[in-house]
Amino acid sequence: MTLLAFVILLTAVTVGYVINLRAARAIRDGGTRMHSLESFHGGYAALMTLVPTFFLIIIWMLFQGTVIELIVKSGISDQLEGLGTGETQLVMAEIRSIAGGRIFGTPEQWKLDAAERLVALRGLSGWLLVAVTAALATTMLYVSRRTVSSEFRARQGVERIVHVLMAGCATVAIFVTIGIVASLLFETFRFFQMVPFWDFLLGTNWEPQIPIREDQVAAEGAFGMLPVFLGTLVIAFVAMVIATPIGLLSAIYLHEFASNRIRGVVKPVLEVLAGVPTVVYGFFAILVIAPAIRSFGTDLGLPIASNTALAAGSVMGIMLIPFISSFADDALGAVPRSLRDGSLAVGATQAETMLKVLFPAAIPGIVGGILLAISRAIGETMIVVMAAGLIAKMTINPLDSVTTVTVQIVTLLIGDTAFDSPKTLAAFALGMVLFLMTLCINILALRIVRKYREIYD
Amino acid sequence: MTMFDVTKPETAVDQTDIKIAASNVQVFYGDTQAIKDVDVDIQDKTVTAFIGPSGCGKSTFLRCLNRMNDTIDSCRVEGRILLDEQDIYAPQVDPVQLRAKVGMVFQKPNPFPKSIYDNVAYGPKIHGMARTKGELDEVVEKSLRRAALWEEVKDRLDTPGTGLSGGQQQRLCIARAVATRPEVLLMDEPCSALDPIATAQVEELIDELKQRFSVVIVTHSMQQAARVSQKTAFFHLGNLVEYDDTNTIFTNPQDPRTESYITGRIG
Amino acid sequence: MTDQTNNTGFDWASPSFQSHMKKRRRSQIQLKLLGLGAIAIAFMMLMLLITSLVSTGYHAFTQTHLKVEVFLDPEHLDPAKPARGNYRQILTDTMKTQFPDVPDDRAELRKLTSILSNGAQFTIRDRVMENPDLIGETVQFNVPVADTYDQLNKGLIDPDTPEEYRRLKNDEIANFELLKDRGAITEPLNTALLTNADSRFPELAGLKGALVGSFYALLTCFLLSFPLGIGAAIYLEEFAPRNRVSDLIEININNLAAVPSVVFGLLALAVFLGWFGMPRSAPFVGGMTLALMTLPTIIIATRAALKAVPPSIREAALAVGASKQQVVFGHVLPLAMPGILTGTIIGLAQALGETAPLLLIGMNAFITSAPSTPFDSATALPTQIFIWADSPERGFVSRTSAAILVLLTFLIMMNAIAIFLRQKFERKW
Repeated sequence: MTLLAFVILLTAVTVGYVINLRAARAIRDGGTRMHSLESFHGGYAALMTLVPTFFLIIIWMLFQGTVIELIVKSGISDQLEGLGTGETQLVMAEIRSIAGGRIFGTPEQWKLDAAERLVALRGLSGWLLVAVTAALATTMLYVSRRTVSSEFRARQGVERIVHVLMAGCATVAIFVTIGIVASLLFETFRFFQMVPFWDFLLGTNWEPQIPIREDQVAAEGAFGMLPVFLGTLVIAFVAMVIATPIGLLSAIYLHEFASNRIRGVVKPVLEVLAGVPTVVYGFFAILVIAPAIRSFGTDLGLPIASNTALAAGSVMGIMLIPFISSFADDALGAVPRSLRDGSLAVGATQAETMLKVLFPAAIPGIVGGILLAISRAIGETMIVVMAAGLIAKMTINPLDSVTTVTVQIVTLLIGDTAFDSPKTLAAFALGMVLFLMTLCINILALRIVRKYREIYD
Repeated sequence: MTMFDVTKPETAVDQTDIKIAASNVQVFYGDTQAIKDVDVDIQDKTVTAFIGPSGCGKSTFLRCLNRMNDTIDSCRVEGRILLDEQDIYAPQVDPVQLRAKVGMVFQKPNPFPKSIYDNVAYGPKIHGMARTKGELDEVVEKSLRRAALWEEVKDRLDTPGTGLSGGQQQRLCIARAVATRPEVLLMDEPCSALDPIATAQVEELIDELKQRFSVVIVTHSMQQAARVSQKTAFFHLGNLVEYDDTNTIFTNPQDPRTESYITGRIG
Repeated sequence: MTDQTNNTGFDWASPSFQSHMKKRRRSQIQLKLLGLGAIAIAFMMLMLLITSLVSTGYHAFTQTHLKVEVFLDPEHLDPAKPARGNYRQILTDTMKTQFPDVPDDRAELRKLTSILSNGAQFTIRDRVMENPDLIGETVQFNVPVADTYDQLNKGLIDPDTPEEYRRLKNDEIANFELLKDRGAITEPLNTALLTNADSRFPELAGLKGALVGSFYALLTCFLLSFPLGIGAAIYLEEFAPRNRVSDLIEININNLAAVPSVVFGLLALAVFLGWFGMPRSAPFVGGMTLALMTLPTIIIATRAALKAVPPSIREAALAVGASKQQVVFGHVLPLAMPGILTGTIIGLAQALGETAPLLLIGMNAFITSAPSTPFDSATALPTQIFIWADSPERGFVSRTSAAILVLLTFLIMMNAIAIFLRQKFERKW
C-alpha cells in the first residue's frame, strides 16, 4: 500500500510537470511573453505536488502504527485492565505475532479477535493512505495548474520552495538536539519519580539488579551514580596519561623536526590509527593488552583484577593518540611563522624555539584539543563495554576492575527495554549525566579553540 | 673578565674593517635560482642598504647572512660568506651561535606573546649570557635603552609585548636582537608595517645603532636608503647590479638599470 | 672564532659558553629522541594491533572439511517428506562405517559423530531436498568438521598438554589422525565466512547477515544524511542571514559532532523504537540513527567545500543575470562536489564502524539468516564482531579477528576512494 502511495506520488509529480510545461508552452506559442521559462512552470507544479504529499505519507507512516495499536488497545480495555505496562506490552506483542500469522499454543478468543481487528485496521489504513495521497496530489495538481499564466513568477515560486526546504534541512540539526534532550529529560524525569534525585547523585552504591518477580528475594536495587562516575574518571585518566604525552611529543616531532618524507609516512599511519573502529580496539584490549597486563602483574606478584581499568584505559589512550596529535599539530601550525623566525634569529635552537615560544603560544589550542579528547574518553563506549568491568566500586586503583557510565548504559539496555523499570530508566539518567558532562566540556573546548584562532587570524 | 664589558674601547677596530665578505653566492629554491653570483663586502660600523624591486632577491640574500634560509627545507645556498674571515657555512659552524652574533629584525614586528622583559631576556637567557637575575636585569635595561624604548616601558616590563603599539613592538624586537650582543644586525624592511612617525623613530635608532654594530637593512623605499645608509647595493632579478657609497648610487649610478630604478622607470 | 675581533664584549669561545652550548645541543637531541620515541610507540601499537589480528584471524579463512561417503538409507528417509528424515542417524551410521573397530556403544558413537559439524546434517538434508531421487544411494559429501577438530587440524591444540586439561582426549585425536591418514581431511578456503549467516557453531558462522545488514544500514544512512546534509550546508553557507538563529544552528552542529555515540543510541531507542514503534534490530532504524551522527560530518565537509569555491565564479554567474539559486546549483555545487563526496565517504566509513548506538537498538540479536529487507531483524558488521568477541567458543576468537579484517578492508577501501577523489578532482584556485 505504501508502495502504491509512492507510485501515485511519482506519477502525480511527473504529470504535474508535463501539464504545466505544456500549458506554459501553449501560452508562449500564442505569442505572449512569459515571465518565467516553461520548465519553471513545470517544476513549480512538480514541487507543489511533491512536497506536501511526500510529508503526508511520511507522517502517516510514522504514526499509523501507534494510532492503530491505540484503537486495538481501547477495544480490549476490559481485558487489559489491571495489567502493568510490561504485561500490556507482552499482550500486544502476542496479538501482533498472531496478526503476523505466527500462532503459538491456543490463545484466548479475545486475543484472536484483537489480532483480526489489527489486520483489518492495517488494511484500512493502507487504503486510506492511498486515497488521501491521491486526493491531495490531485488537489495540488489542480491548484498549480491554475497558476500558469504569463505573469506568474514561477521561478521565484520554485526558488521559494527550495529555499524553505533547505532551511528545513538546516533545522534538522536543531531537532536532533531537541530530540536528544527531550528523550533524555522525559525518561530521566520518570526515573526520578521512582528513585530520589539525591540518592542518584550522591549515592555511593550502584546495584541496579531489581527483583523481576514480586516474591523474588534479591537486592533492593541501589542507584547511586558516584562509583560509576568515579570509574569513568579513572579510565579516562589512565587514557589521558598515556595519550597526552605521546600525542603531544609526536606532534612536536612532526611539526618541527620531521622531514617531509617522514611526515608523509607518519601522518597516514596516525590517520589509520584514528580510523580504526572502537569495537576493534575493544577486541584488541581483551585479546592482547589485558592478558599482557595480567601476566606482567602476576610476574611482579601484584594482585590484578581480570578487567583492569588499566587495560581499558591504556587501549583508549592508544585510540586518542592520533586525536591529540593532530589537534596539537594544527594548533602549532596556527602559530605565525614569524614567531618561529624571531626565536631562531636570536640564536635559539629548534628545541628551545618549540618549548619556549611555539608550544606556549599554541597552548590554548592544545588545551582545547585535550578537552575534546577527555570528552571522547568519557563518552567512549565499546572499548569499556568489552574490556572494563561491570561491578561498580568506589576505588581509584587503576589495577582494580571498575565500571563506567557508558558500560552501565549499554548493559542496562541490551536485551530488555521495558520502559517502566527503574533499571532501564536509570540508563537514561546516566545518559543525561553523560550528555551534560560532555556537552559542557565540548562547549568549553570549542570556545577556547575558536578564541585562539581569532588571536592569530 | 666580566660578562658584559662595556668599558672595552670601541675604537679598537678600524672603522672601515670588512665585517662580512660574500663571494659567488647562489641561492636556489628547489629548482629555481633566486640569487645569482652575488659578491659583496659589508663594512663594520656602517649601515648598508639593499634596494631593488620586489622579488629581486634582496631579502633572500639577507637571510643567507645569518643562515635563516636553513629553516626552509627546499632552500640551498652555494658560495662563500665570511664573517670575520670565517666561513659561516663551514660545517663546524653552529647556526645557533651564528644567529646570536648576527641578529635579525623582521618586516612585521613579531614580539613573543610574553612580557616585555621576557621578550628581551629571551636571547641572553638561552645563551646563558647572564648568570644572575641582576645581570639579566642589566642586560634588559641596556638593550631597551639602546632600542630607545626604555623610557616608554620601564614601568610596565611585566605587561605583554604584544600590547605595545606597532612602532614600539618593532623597537622591542630590535631590543630583543640587540640583547644577545650581536656584531651584525640584519633588518628586513623593518619599517614597512609602521606609520611615518614610528618609521622616523626607528630610522633615528638605526643611526644610533651603527655606532656599535654593522647594520644591513633591506628596504623598498629609496628615500629611506638615502636617509639611513652609507653604502647601498642595488639588486635586480637575483643579481647584484651595483654596490657603492649611497651618495654615488643616488647621484651618479654607473649601471643604466640602477638609474632607471632610481628615477622610477622600473620597479 | 677569533677572540680579538669581538667588538661587543662577549666571549663566544669561553669554556663556560661552550659547555653551555653543549648542554643546549644535548637537550635538542633529547627532545628529538622523545618525539621519535612517541611516534615509534604509536607505530608499534598499530603493528601490534595488525599482527595480532592477522595472526589470530588467518585461521578463520580456511575451514577443515571431512570427505565422507554417505549412504542415504531409505530406512530413515521418506521421499515424500525429505525434510523430516532422521539425518542424525544417517550420520551416525556413516561414521560407524568409517571406524569399524570402534565398539558399538552410544558414548563412543557420539564421540565419532562429534567430529562432524552440527551443520553436516543440514548440508545433507538440503541436498536430499533438492534431489529426492538420491535416497537409497551413496553420495560423497564434503562437510565441515566441528570447531575443536578444526582447531586440532590447524595445530591450535597442543598435544603436549596433559590430557585432563585438553579439550580433545587421546582417543579422539587418534580417531582424527586416522581420518587424516586416509586423506579424508581437507582444508579449503572458508567461503562460508562470507556466504553463511550467524550460527552458534563457529565452523558454520558467517558474516552474510552482518554484511547485508551493514549495507542496508549504510544505504539508509546515505539516503537520509546526504540530501539533508547538503541542503543544510548550502542554506547555512550561501543563503542564511547572519543572525542569532544561524549562529545557534552552527554551534549546535559543532556540538552535535562531539556528542558521544551512545547518546544517539539512547535517542533512537526512546524516539524511534519507543515513541514511533519502529521495529527493533532493523537495519533501517540503525541507518536512521547513523544518519543523525553522520549529518554533522557531511554538513561540515560540504560547507568547507563550498567555501573553497572562489567568489569570482559566483560573481561571474551573477553578473550574467543568473539568480542566486541558479548560481549555487548550476556552478558552485558542481565545483564543490568532489570535496562533498570525499567528506561523505569519510562520514560513511565512520558510520560503518560505529557500534554502540546499534547495540542499543538491538542490532546485536542472534539471527541466523540474512535480512531480505531493511526492515527485518539483522546485525551489522561491528555488532557481529561484538557478538563473536563475547562468545566463549575458541573458534570465535579467530572468526572475530577475521571479521575485523573484513571490516578494516571495507574501511580502507572507502578511505582509498575518498583519497582518490580528493587527488583526482582537487583544484587549485
